[in-house]
Amino acid sequence: MRRETPSDRRPGNQPCGCPGHGAGSAGNDLARRGFNRRAFLKRSAVVAGATALTGRGLATQLAFASTPTYTGDVLIVLSFRGGFDGLSVVVPRNDPDFIALRPNIRVPDSLMLPTGDVRFGLHPAMAPLLPMWTAGTFGAVHAVGQVNPTRSHFEATQELEKAAPGSTLRTGWLDRMLGDRGAGTAFQACEVGGSPVSPGFAGPAPVLGMYDIDGFTLSGSDGTDLAQWAAALTGINAVAPTTVQAPVATTLGALATIHSLGTVDAYTPANGAVYDENSDLSKALRDVARLIKANIGLQAVAVDYDDWDMHAGLADKSLDPTTGWMHDQVTEFSNALATFFTDLGPTLTGSTSLITLSEFGRRVEENGSYGLDHGHGNAVLILGGGIVGGQVHGNWLGLSDAVLDDGDVPATTDYRNLLGELLLKRCGATSVTNVFPGLSYTATGIAH
Amino acid sequence: MLRRLTFGPSPASVAEINSLGSLRWLEDQLNPAVIDDHVCAGYLARYPRLAWTIQSTRAHLSNGAWDLMEDLGEATLLRATWSRRQLFEVMVEFWSNHLNVTNPSSDVWDNRHDYDANVIRKYTFGKFSDMLWASANHPAMMRYLNNADSTPPDFNENYGRELLELHTVGVDGGYTEVDMRNSALIMSGYGVHDPWPSDANTGIFEYIPDNHYVGPVTVMGFSSPNATAAGGYAVGKAYLSYLATHPSTAKRIADKLITRFISDDPRPALSARLAATYLAHGTAIVPVLRQLFTSREFQYAVGHKVRRPLEDLIASLRTLGITPDPGTGTDGIQALWWESDNLGQQPMAWALPNGYPDTAPDWQSTNGTLERWNIHMALAGQWWPVQASPPMLQAPPLASFLPSPLPANYGTFVDLMAERLVYQKLGPDARAAVLAFMGQAATDPVASNDAYVSWRFPYLIALILDSVYHTMR
Repeated sequence: MRRETPSDRRPGNQPCGCPGHGAGSAGNDLARRGFNRRAFLKRSAVVAGATALTGRGLATQLAFASTPTYTGDVLIVLSFRGGFDGLSVVVPRNDPDFIALRPNIRVPDSLMLPTGDVRFGLHPAMAPLLPMWTAGTFGAVHAVGQVNPTRSHFEATQELEKAAPGSTLRTGWLDRMLGDRGAGTAFQACEVGGSPVSPGFAGPAPVLGMYDIDGFTLSGSDGTDLAQWAAALTGINAVAPTTVQAPVATTLGALATIHSLGTVDAYTPANGAVYDENSDLSKALRDVARLIKANIGLQAVAVDYDDWDMHAGLADKSLDPTTGWMHDQVTEFSNALATFFTDLGPTLTGSTSLITLSEFGRRVEENGSYGLDHGHGNAVLILGGGIVGGQVHGNWLGLSDAVLDDGDVPATTDYRNLLGELLLKRCGATSVTNVFPGLSYTATGIAH
Repeated sequence: MLRRLTFGPSPASVAEINSLGSLRWLEDQLNPAVIDDHVCAGYLARYPRLAWTIQSTRAHLSNGAWDLMEDLGEATLLRATWSRRQLFEVMVEFWSNHLNVTNPSSDVWDNRHDYDANVIRKYTFGKFSDMLWASANHPAMMRYLNNADSTPPDFNENYGRELLELHTVGVDGGYTEVDMRNSALIMSGYGVHDPWPSDANTGIFEYIPDNHYVGPVTVMGFSSPNATAAGGYAVGKAYLSYLATHPSTAKRIADKLITRFISDDPRPALSARLAATYLAHGTAIVPVLRQLFTSREFQYAVGHKVRRPLEDLIASLRTLGITPDPGTGTDGIQALWWESDNLGQQPMAWALPNGYPDTAPDWQSTNGTLERWNIHMALAGQWWPVQASPPMLQAPPLASFLPSPLPANYGTFVDLMAERLVYQKLGPDARAAVLAFMGQAATDPVASNDAYVSWRFPYLIALILDSVYHTMR
């Protein structure tokens, strides 16, 4: 497995394989444009109905059960792509090693939100989620990672979603989970906003995809003539092989179901929740809430929330976490998640489990640009009615020189154990052997 | 033959093959220099930067710029759609996936276009051993699979493994984990001249003896004392030659060609014949293709393959006669390139080293299905990107797709439209479905002001393109 290479450790403006981390501003802009190429497309394309904007690298993927018999939690995987700095969010408190390594861009003890654990505080921008922490429906795990660390975005992301280190599998764990359940065809798996075959879902399980719910419409149809189109599209494919007929049927079924949901304008969130129209994450979670409430058998959702690759400019000012890049990101996801769970209300929160994952954490030591280079062990956030919240789980060894792995937080918890625990305790799985081959499963205690 | 050896028939290509005869047409396609392709070359001239060397790319663009990777993606789609050397373009697609280097990806920003020109296209109709050797001597492959990062004592195994698993003998090709490790050791030292801090005049391939593992190496039937660092380059060359001519490699390439051109199901007898030809001709690919396309198995395998999304998009453009804008713009081509991403098959953009999958089950995407239907509607209606201001693409007037004179009844109308758009008649189920969609009986008369002959005509075109007769090739 790839270890540290010179290109991973170049300071400042040297390329690190990170989109948007080029040298000059022109290269920077182009790289960003490339990285967000889907959003760019949607701005340039005017295909009626096909191209509602999800924007800024945000992607949502959904998996539905074929029958309403699934009684487990809806599992939401919120992917913090780009390398999320968990140490800025679940922050070591009163830790001289941390203070020495991050003189400028850490959250100072005086500004942390209390966790009830003397070792850690939360980023102040997480205030909207503090009530859930107190209520025990929001918690964290620290020092989580992959068993074979790589500091390459590409490799780490592929390995994270494959979740089968050392194997020759080229399928994703979400696909294997669906396959293991034997879920049927219609509404088995769905994506919103992502590429048609995402790494996590890669594999033989049919995938239902959409950019967002309201954008999942058939060009040429105003919705009222869907039955006429459905009959025609079925008839002209009557002699097609099942590999063509199955997605035709799934697509037509999804079109009808989504048409019956009505548009987002007709949706009234519950409990006074107000989704932020300027936040793609907030709007994506609103779509997820709509589907959960529609009770059409949603099992798993993957939402991407990227832009965590903070090699420079994580904070604007020394020891002030109330402005800057990290602050903006944490504010957006905290507000979005708080709104989402408010909208769900206690009952539906009780059957929802959300977990955040990122391909790797970042270095403990800040670099010369108020930023952080690629690291390893990371914090994972868990939310939902069935999780053991209000505490920081995991095996935390501190940040002394002897503990650090190549300058990074060591990964003392394999992230697959966290997913496995949610699948077993919350999502009705009886075994995770097929989903995570080679994993010697151990419960961490994150779920009831 | 046109359905399978091209990105889709067009009225012009149908006329051409009918005039030449299929064997003459095939021989021309296998010898593409004889095919006049100046129209495509003219379109291609809109991307002058593709002629830049790696060094001049680095001199002209800031580090990490995506410009040339976008140019390459668009130019690839352009050639696949409008080149008359269709079989060549189909095979470029085949080899680009076989020796996949994801485009765009940041680590190959400066060299991916050069890899396309000097590794893939240069040897597309040449010998596989030459292409494999060229790929090992190219900084794109060395960076993409981390061989440039392979340094003692922690040699990176990424390239050494994929060389066996993906590029040559295949995962069942008969190697062990020890062989795989030795494969990585043999290739250590093959890297990129890329000192740090970098300057513009770098980024080319370099064999770096200091990075080469020294000592005896064995992979399957290949072994070498590998006694010196300086001699490592030659050991690598001999090793790649061994792999290119290994029977497992021959079988693997034969099987992949069968999957591409005949069927998702294996054809063991044909595979054995093709593999023998591959080895007998020193890994030359044209004799293998000629044997494949003149085989009985090929003759009887019409309509077995599902078009992947990119093939469907290009086949739609070709049958609808859509061409780039009349000026020198690239916006329309860029729009199609983005659309191919929406469809899930942007050229060369598969993120994993194994290239886009080529069997139907891998493409059972609902998103892909809906997007396919929607782009058919947009192209048939000439809504987008044709009807932009100024136009990004050109299309013939919609009325030119109408049979002239109008047929007497709707049954004949559907038959003629199917012949025009998908080059065959629809089966009875599909024909009935189309008639029902229009609310017409086969015997109903056609009048020039009927909805489906006027304002709803594009809906009929789109529906026929949504049918299995366009989806399969």
